[in-house]
Amino acid sequence: MSAILVLDTATAATVAGVVVDGRAFERRHDPLPDERPGHISQILALAEAALADAGIGFGALGRIGVGVGPGSFTGLRIGIATARALAHATGLPLAPVSTLGALAVAAGDEPVLAVLDARRGEAFVARWEGGRPVTPPRAVRADELAVEVVRGSLAVGDGAVRFRAPLESAGATVPVDDSPLHRVGAVGLARLAALRAPVDRDALVPDYVRAPDAKPRSEQR
Amino acid sequence: MILGIETSCDDTCAAVVTHGGEIRSNVISSQGIHDQYGGVVPEIASRHHLELVDAVVDDALTRAAATLDDVDLIAVTQGPGLVGALLVGIASAKGLAAPRRLPLVPVDHLQGHVAANFLGARPFEPPFLCLVASGGHTFLARVADRDGFSVLGQTLDDAAGEAFDKGARLLGLPFPGGPHIERLALEGDPHAFAFPVAAGVAGLDFSFSGLKTALLYKLREFSEDTAPVADLAASFQHAVVEALALRVERAVGQTGLRRVALGGGVAANTALRERVAGLDDVEVHVPPRELCTDNAAMIAGAGRFRPALAHPDYLALDAYASGSRSPA
Ligand SMILES: [Zn+2]
Repeated sequence: MSAILVLDTATAATVAGVVVDGRAFERRHDPLPDERPGHISQILALAEAALADAGIGFGALGRIGVGVGPGSFTGLRIGIATARALAHATGLPLAPVSTLGALAVAAGDEPVLAVLDARRGEAFVARWEGGRPVTPPRAVRADELAVEVVRGSLAVGDGAVRFRAPLESAGATVPVDDSPLHRVGAVGLARLAALRAPVDRDALVPDYVRAPDAKPRSEQR
Repeated sequence: MILGIETSCDDTCAAVVTHGGEIRSNVISSQGIHDQYGGVVPEIASRHHLELVDAVVDDALTRAAATLDDVDLIAVTQGPGLVGALLVGIASAKGLAAPRRLPLVPVDHLQGHVAANFLGARPFEPPFLCLVASGGHTFLARVADRDGFSVLGQTLDDAAGEAFDKGARLLGLPFPGGPHIERLALEGDPHAFAFPVAAGVAGLDFSFSGLKTALLYKLREFSEDTAPVADLAASFQHAVVEALALRVERAVGQTGLRRVALGGGVAANTALRERVAGLDDVEVHVPPRELCTDNAAMIAGAGRFRPALAHPDYLALDAYASGSRSPA
């Protein structure tokens, strides 16, 4: 099995990892609460550091996987533009990965609700089971979260931490706040990236879920 | 060869330029979609940049009969502009450069407009005054050499192209406003109405917000179907042109420089070109239209004269929204 480089910038974190022969080399930047995401300044440096940790260069990779969200619009574009350009520069195949799925599969094969903080009081959610999505990613309000929950199942992700109270009262189990299960990681990303058929580079776009805010610049001032 | 990438506003651009300043390709993909919103929608622009950027780069390479193997420097617009849009181009440029260990040169967008004058077989050599007027910026600069410029004046509110857009909207004309106002103005009298040219704004700064308000009030004097729209368009255009030309005239007087270059989309306006060309004893240079509006050839061209960053020094490169980072 050849090596995979994975990137994800859907959340405030910037994640890069190399998985080779079942070993994962992850590099990440998790901003402090008062710090802005470091996507643009971190993503490539972390990717190169992960490659160095694994002792390989771009030439030894078999494919690139990138998180397509849902998540931060700007963050997703940075990760995907980076991944597409790397694929262009190296000729490597590209595989899109659901960021919610990467969270879910890292938590196990039992039913898992992956929940990301979508801001504006909303969450991006998807239910996964056995490494497959059961529901498509959606943006829901906090008071709509309960219907997504399968009683007794895990809920993971920064949105699960943020919306712990409604999730727990609906019967979900939410790991402690600092559990690594809440963070998007290289292992989950690579597991899905290895399974996905590569896609055409220009067809790889974010799973925005939400429509754009369609106000012209001149009216935003 | 230099590969240039420009995504600061709503055009997704890539170009291949030689180190000697010869343009091998200059691809501009205009998104168009913003017309229905009456202005550039940042989130929609950013989404389109991501969809288009790799195909536009491919197209620029193909038209230059080149591949990435022929590229030895990548130039990318770092700012000013829409940050979300800039970040798509910057991420792409870094991702193309890093695995190939290519150097990368971050380029100031305004410097790019200035550097458009240095491209092609007959470059316009410094020193000169440069007026750049578009939907995103309006500034007047003194250009002493090829690697920088100093801003003598800039707009305090709307850009000139934005003034055209807002004026067009008031007159019921589509976006972008400049070309539509110019067409309608052909049938009107530029002296029918006296709109303000912000002559009172001291020095070489521009202001267009009062002009829009003046048009709004003038329109209220008419019922919708009796408004003399052609005269209003002609008088409005006359005011924008006068406001721009007045500062150029002042700058010529202050600096003694009798050479003026025009840039930005508004440089396509015939009335502006003729007004500036009519200045006494002033040599005027206007690059071809496709080098006046936003494009990547001007970015690649400017990259020839700016310091390039070696790998890995550019990996952390970020965008900037406002200001300019291209000191004279
Ligand atoms: Zn411009």
